[in-house]
Amino acid sequence: MITKFDPITLEILWRRLLSIVDEADATVARTAFSSLLRDAHDYTCMFTDRQGRELAQGTLATPGQSGAMALGIKRLVQSIPAETFRPGDVYITNDPWALAGHLNDICVFSPIFHKDRLAAFTACVLHHSDIGGRVASDNHDVFEEGLFIPLVKLYDAGVENQAVMDLIRWNVRTPDEVIGDIRSQIAANHVCAEQVCQMMAAENLDSLDDLADEIIQRSEKSIRAAIAKVPDGIYRAEGVIEQMADRADIVIKAAVEISGSDIMVNLEGSSPQVDWGGNVVYNFTYAYVHMAVKSIFDPDIPNNDGSVAPICLKAPEGSVVNCRFPAAVAARMQIGHFMTEILYRALAPALPQRVIAGSGGTPATMNVFYGKQSNGRPWHSVLIRGGGTGAGCRQDGEQCYIFPANGANTPVEILESDTPLIVERRELLPDSGGAGKQRGGLGRRVVFRIPDDEYAPEPPVNLGIQSGRFRLPPAGLSGGRPGARAQFLVNGEPGNPYGLTRLQPGDRVTMDAAGGGGYGAPKERDRQALLVDVQDGKVSMEAAKKDYGIEMDL
Amino acid sequence: MFVSLTLFTLFGKSARKRTTSMNHKLGIDVGGTFTDFVLLDESTGEIIVHKCLTTPGDPSDAAVDGIQELTKRVPGLPQKLAEVIHGTTLVINAIIERKGAPTALITTEGFRDVLELGREIRYAPYNIFAEFPEPLVPRRLRLEVEERIRADGSVLTAMNLERAREIVGTLPQTGVESVAVCLLNSFENPEHELALKKIIAQACPGVSISISYEVLPQIREYERTSTTVANAYVKPLTEKYLYRLSDRLTSLGFKGRLFIMLSSGGITSVQTAAEFPVRIIESGPTAAVIAGEYFSRLFELPDMFCFDMGGTTAKSCLIQDGVAGVVPTFEVGRVQRFMKGSGLTIQVPVVDLMEIGAGGGSIARMSQVGTLQVGPESAGADPGPICYGLGGEKPTVTDADLLLGYLDADYFLGGEMQLDAKAARNAIAEQIAEPLGVSTIQAVWGIHDLINETMAAAAKTHIAERGGNPKVVTLAAFGGAGPVHAFGLARKLGAPRVIVPPNAGVGSALGFFTAPRAFDLVRSHKVSLQEADYNEIESLFGEMEAEGERTLRTAGVTDEISFLRSVDARFVGQGSETNLLLPEGAFTTLKPEALRRQFDETYEKLYGRTYPETPVEFVNFRVRASLPVQPLQLPRLHGKQASLQEALKGERLAYSGLAHDFIPFTVYDRYKLFAGATIAGPAIIEERESTAIVGEDATVTVDEFGFLWIELKGNDKRVP
Repeated sequence: MITKFDPITLEILWRRLLSIVDEADATVARTAFSSLLRDAHDYTCMFTDRQGRELAQGTLATPGQSGAMALGIKRLVQSIPAETFRPGDVYITNDPWALAGHLNDICVFSPIFHKDRLAAFTACVLHHSDIGGRVASDNHDVFEEGLFIPLVKLYDAGVENQAVMDLIRWNVRTPDEVIGDIRSQIAANHVCAEQVCQMMAAENLDSLDDLADEIIQRSEKSIRAAIAKVPDGIYRAEGVIEQMADRADIVIKAAVEISGSDIMVNLEGSSPQVDWGGNVVYNFTYAYVHMAVKSIFDPDIPNNDGSVAPICLKAPEGSVVNCRFPAAVAARMQIGHFMTEILYRALAPALPQRVIAGSGGTPATMNVFYGKQSNGRPWHSVLIRGGGTGAGCRQDGEQCYIFPANGANTPVEILESDTPLIVERRELLPDSGGAGKQRGGLGRRVVFRIPDDEYAPEPPVNLGIQSGRFRLPPAGLSGGRPGARAQFLVNGEPGNPYGLTRLQPGDRVTMDAAGGGGYGAPKERDRQALLVDVQDGKVSMEAAKKDYGIEMDL
Repeated sequence: MFVSLTLFTLFGKSARKRTTSMNHKLGIDVGGTFTDFVLLDESTGEIIVHKCLTTPGDPSDAAVDGIQELTKRVPGLPQKLAEVIHGTTLVINAIIERKGAPTALITTEGFRDVLELGREIRYAPYNIFAEFPEPLVPRRLRLEVEERIRADGSVLTAMNLERAREIVGTLPQTGVESVAVCLLNSFENPEHELALKKIIAQACPGVSISISYEVLPQIREYERTSTTVANAYVKPLTEKYLYRLSDRLTSLGFKGRLFIMLSSGGITSVQTAAEFPVRIIESGPTAAVIAGEYFSRLFELPDMFCFDMGGTTAKSCLIQDGVAGVVPTFEVGRVQRFMKGSGLTIQVPVVDLMEIGAGGGSIARMSQVGTLQVGPESAGADPGPICYGLGGEKPTVTDADLLLGYLDADYFLGGEMQLDAKAARNAIAEQIAEPLGVSTIQAVWGIHDLINETMAAAAKTHIAERGGNPKVVTLAAFGGAGPVHAFGLARKLGAPRVIVPPNAGVGSALGFFTAPRAFDLVRSHKVSLQEADYNEIESLFGEMEAEGERTLRTAGVTDEISFLRSVDARFVGQGSETNLLLPEGAFTTLKPEALRRQFDETYEKLYGRTYPETPVEFVNFRVRASLPVQPLQLPRLHGKQASLQEALKGERLAYSGLAHDFIPFTVYDRYKLFAGATIAGPAIIEERESTAIVGEDATVTVDEFGFLWIELKGNDKRVP
């Protein structure tokens, strides 16, 4: 039995843990059903030690899920008496307050036993495109939003609890897909558990405790060293987030206190929770605070319990960033994603070279189209998209990405072959990137049309949207200008992005994603860079004159 | 630097009777640094290997020089050559170095930014400054035409021909030399792309054209556009180079046939390679895999893992039942080396190679969290490892291998290069051991062991993803560093056996002579397995086979062509597809129930369970058209059973991972080993380009072809 790890052995074992999680991750990619998963990678695999402390997570984990899971799984695991876990147990829950903040994120986790002793836990959270309920941002409480699965055993010592499966099956619109995806989560956990046991056997480890301590302590030390370089002080920023037309804007107040290597984020004074789905549970707020801190201070070290240790988050209970049950939470990313940007703004004076301006992909845009095809078969499609990212002090923003979350688009050809929709355009929007010494990334237009010929689906086609930036554009930094606003048009007229939109054959929907904010004064922009932008049609000649004060003659 | 050597000779039998005048075959592999030549005399089985520096300005210079050098040893060689098989890194380098032709893209109105938008995923979620590759065609050269095809291939908007002609008419003034055409849903109906092809050919004579329906008729617009654009981007240069090479060979007196190596492991004619240059993108490293396939069949090793470790990277491939996997996608020009997702996507059939940043030149350093890191940064060949004494200052894997006693400072490259162990030791002590707080030998062993761990982790995932089992594979070691690390890698994988072909440093080149003349075709067409019109599918296959036959006949061959059909199928709504090999015979004779059963069986084998109640659909149809493989007889070792004493070079201390200490290893000269020789570990077997390490828990036997068979004790007992 090895009791201490030299830095070489430690690296070898640490690497092996990471590759085990990536293998579990690949299992989901290969076996999952819904297009959201396969194309958008909206799931996260991780595993913890026997106390629930996160040791490793998938390389391409979605920041919102992974940050929330690091906290959530630890609490769940510690809430169950350790002696009651048995080999073959599989737990399931989608409790938004326990995990990743909305019902669509179902978590499946299992204890890992080695030599008859509890050694670790493996978990997989996956965003299911369908969880029943009314698919909209303007629900009043979580009960309207779909099926709530409290923490229950899906398998008890290896025996499937058929009742739980049936309960899920009868409460969702596309049961084969949802059950198929849950099975792929179980498969991923199985792969992870097997590999961890094989590693423990091969390395003659009776427990992972010492290894966990080493990994966690070293990661914590690394991020603390980076934080300690910032002068002590309280750095403040305020974020204003638009909500439904008839309601006052939401205000997030952030005071970031750096003292030594500790970072305390206090959200005291932020708006109270709202009566629609934008509410954020503590875990999810924490996830995007963590994203900000990690990306600023220590982006290259794999995430684990150590990398979250220096961060302390205070969010007043009952506020929009720490809502109480049974608040509606389905659209939590509309507010939660802003945490990263607000922290960047707070820390920009201290670390201008480590942050970027506001991004059009904050919040991520989600469209849920569903209805019946002409043959009566139900269809359901979730599309997530970003916008232009904010510029930094050395580089232009990129187009187009979801930020601070992550995910890929669904190819138009796949969407059209799976649904009755026609995509008429998917293109960059000229002049949508905020002007600056470094230009913000461009936003993007997508136009959908519901066919009205023999391909027409049964009316109506339902469209639920989660988005933002319709009134308040992504801000620039250090003198950079804001990016362009987002737009949602139905047949050329502004639609209501908060309710459920019922579309008819022949209708045309335009979704413009916002552009990223610029960085630095536009007049400092390199002339050659501006010329290339004009040649490429990313900046018009008019905008070159108006925003940059330069007359272009091609 | 100029190296020329004869590897091993004799006793091979001519596989085929040929006219005595044309009984040689030559493989030419143009790599980044060296151009390798392998000459096979089919009448004697003799193989001659030659190496010279690559000439980046015009790679055909090195090819011609090499042939002239070889002609000094085999008089009248060009006239004796029946075939020249050529692999090249030209295409991949042109993309990485952005040296292709100015290229335009014509696409469906509303979609000119598909190429720039890509799949919109951030490959490094926490790195907000991660860079993304520039598209090969700038936005100003991405033009749109009014037209639209639906997902089922029907026409939603007919092409506005007048507008199309106008747009194409603007091309000549832009100075583009190549045009890519990729329209939405064109894989279901190519009529608009074909019309554009005609228009472009008329309006822009001399400009090369690539249309997506011909390059890659497969669903997913970004991947198809990116592939078509890459093809267009390298087409003018590839065409020019290949025809020039062909002409120069002819002027030397060569009258045989010239074949080009495809990334999929087949070989094809110059015409086809010039038309679809993107198909030869990864043609260099493919030869090792084909050699591996051949060894796997020859020795009846159903599960083989080819492991080719060079200076900068390790390339590996799983071979199951004598066949290497071919995958439909490839990433080129990664902005962040080895970061998946940071490059351009190209969808062409490519041998399923896994490449990781682990080589002899991989640099060791201390990480941010105070642990050891090795790679992916590499010191390459210049300045190279510290022990080369060429100015390298950072410790590398080769430095560690030397200090562990695995390499002989006086017999590196046959003694051509003296290695400096002292400098290597000092650097590792100062830069690694001291900061990490470990002993120098712990650091030295750590470097070797960690690079093996990195490779083992990647290999395990790679093998598992293909439904294989790392505990049953035979490792076939190639490359300069391959045989040095294969033993350690096998231990980590739990693999029972390592084989080291003769001249592993260059032995992969044998693949040139066993490569099938084959061409892969794919067509996307999404239909339900149960409800599909099987007649329609049969005619689709018929069309593809006719196209495959046409392509193969351009090489001027008359042999019978065989077709291997397969389909990619998936559960309705599922993200990725599972490939099913189809039995011979018309598709119409197949029963949906039988195909369904085959799908379920395959799926279950790969993923552990299947869902018989969920409907299945076909997505892609594939055909591999190929000509019969010409049998190759491996040259046999000559000489009688001699005594091992003659091959014995001595004994030296080298590190044992089991004993955690230096122990005496017996050192042998590989060139003096004979068929049937058996050696117990610990042993070191040296040849010019490489050194095979055999631990104390293994034995080696030498077979009649000169292969080393290293059997690891204990590993085969560890049944999973």
